[in-house]
Amino acid sequence: MRVETTPEAVRDYLQTKLPAARNLALSNFVQTAGGWSHEIHVFDAAWEENGRPVRRGFCLRKDPGAALLRDLSNLEEQFRVLKALEATAVPAPKPYWYEADPSILGGPFLVMEKVEGEAPNPWSRAGKRFYAEAASRGKLPASFVEALASLHNLDWRAAGLEFLGVPGPGRDFALGEIAKWERLVAASIRKPEPVLTEIIAWLRANAPETRRLAFVHGAFRTGNLMIKDDSVAAIIDWELQVIGDPMYDVAYVLSDLNREGSPLLSCVVERQFFLDTYRRLTGLEVDLEACRYYEILYMMRSAAFWLSASGLFAEGKNRDLRLARTTYSVPVVLDMAARALGF
Amino acid sequence: MIPAKRLLGEIAASLREVIAPAVSAPYPKSQAYMAAVILDFVARQIEERPDTAAGKRTAIDGAFDELGQMPQLADLVSRCAPTEEGMSHLIELLYSERERLGEETFALANRTIRAALRHLLDEDLKVAGKGE
Repeated sequence: MRVETTPEAVRDYLQTKLPAARNLALSNFVQTAGGWSHEIHVFDAAWEENGRPVRRGFCLRKDPGAALLRDLSNLEEQFRVLKALEATAVPAPKPYWYEADPSILGGPFLVMEKVEGEAPNPWSRAGKRFYAEAASRGKLPASFVEALASLHNLDWRAAGLEFLGVPGPGRDFALGEIAKWERLVAASIRKPEPVLTEIIAWLRANAPETRRLAFVHGAFRTGNLMIKDDSVAAIIDWELQVIGDPMYDVAYVLSDLNREGSPLLSCVVERQFFLDTYRRLTGLEVDLEACRYYEILYMMRSAAFWLSASGLFAEGKNRDLRLARTTYSVPVVLDMAARALGF
Repeated sequence: MIPAKRLLGEIAASLREVIAPAVSAPYPKSQAYMAAVILDFVARQIEERPDTAAGKRTAIDGAFDELGQMPQLADLVSRCAPTEEGMSHLIELLYSERERLGEETFALANRTIRAALRHLLDEDLKVAGKGE
């Protein structure tokens, strides 16, 4: 029997986690439109504890199965990452609970803090305007770079993030990323796609060596950052984090993939300001050659995402029309990669 | 790519089962149901573009002919069918045999392959709305 994520089911669950809570009630329960891998529900809870009123906002992420990242989506890992980040300088939502038992809400889920703020979609007209106006005020671009620097300056061993897997020396990180996305492609399509095969073969043959390992978010851009008062209140969307080359994140910021027509990186920060501030805050020189390589890897990764999404739809495993639409995105990102490689 | 008829059917189903039931105002609700009905009719009228498959076929055949005439590559080419799947296999073989083939032969073969891949992409881009 399928169990839905209803306010009643969530309230009952919350009561088990807050046994001292009296008159527990949920309000503003909304499933957000964002989230391709997980259902995301945000809500407020109010209760009485020891005779005093308590109010708290929550965000619940549930794995519905058969979603964009297929087996790569792992809420337990996300929860462990958020726990590890709790005592660090990285702005991230506070995690509360993780449940693997599908009998509660129909799939594994985690509950974390609802961070106040907004994360406008940078591809929408309103989002572009939001970031352009914030950029002109000057505070958000600096906060954007500071948030990235907080990730790359993190002592990830001390934070207990080794469980993510530590790449070996040399080209191990880049080759591991390629292999990961190849697995998603293999799970998604029945016959090989030759343009993608050529791009992957080129990536394998040209994988750069990693000079320094850092905690890497894997999708650091506007839209994955909660913004409040022109500052990054929290980095969200913890799905693709790895221990790897910090240039992997830097490349994503520098990439045209994330600014669609905006002269600003990630629609919010000027290139030179980003490069100078990042260098000052991390002490790292940006390796533009490695970044160009990683940008092509991101294009391959995008193709893997869209093949996975449209494949799930074609297989009848997921009927979300957003996934169907991505069938037309595959040639577009492959074209970007092909042009970057000169064909 | 997902076949057009299949997509239209799914959009019609979404209009009927997801969108229309969620709309409370009578006029937009009826419009959503009517759009689903019309899409069912449209789905019966459409056909997949035959020129896309033909264009891909020509590009692949051309590349295989050209590469098959290169003595150093004849053996590799003979191990792959002139299909998209076979082309993927040939690409993998070329990279794995790169050292044995030598950089000049590899570069020549890679150029031919990439020219064919550009044609394949352009055919898909016609449908994705960027090529025409």
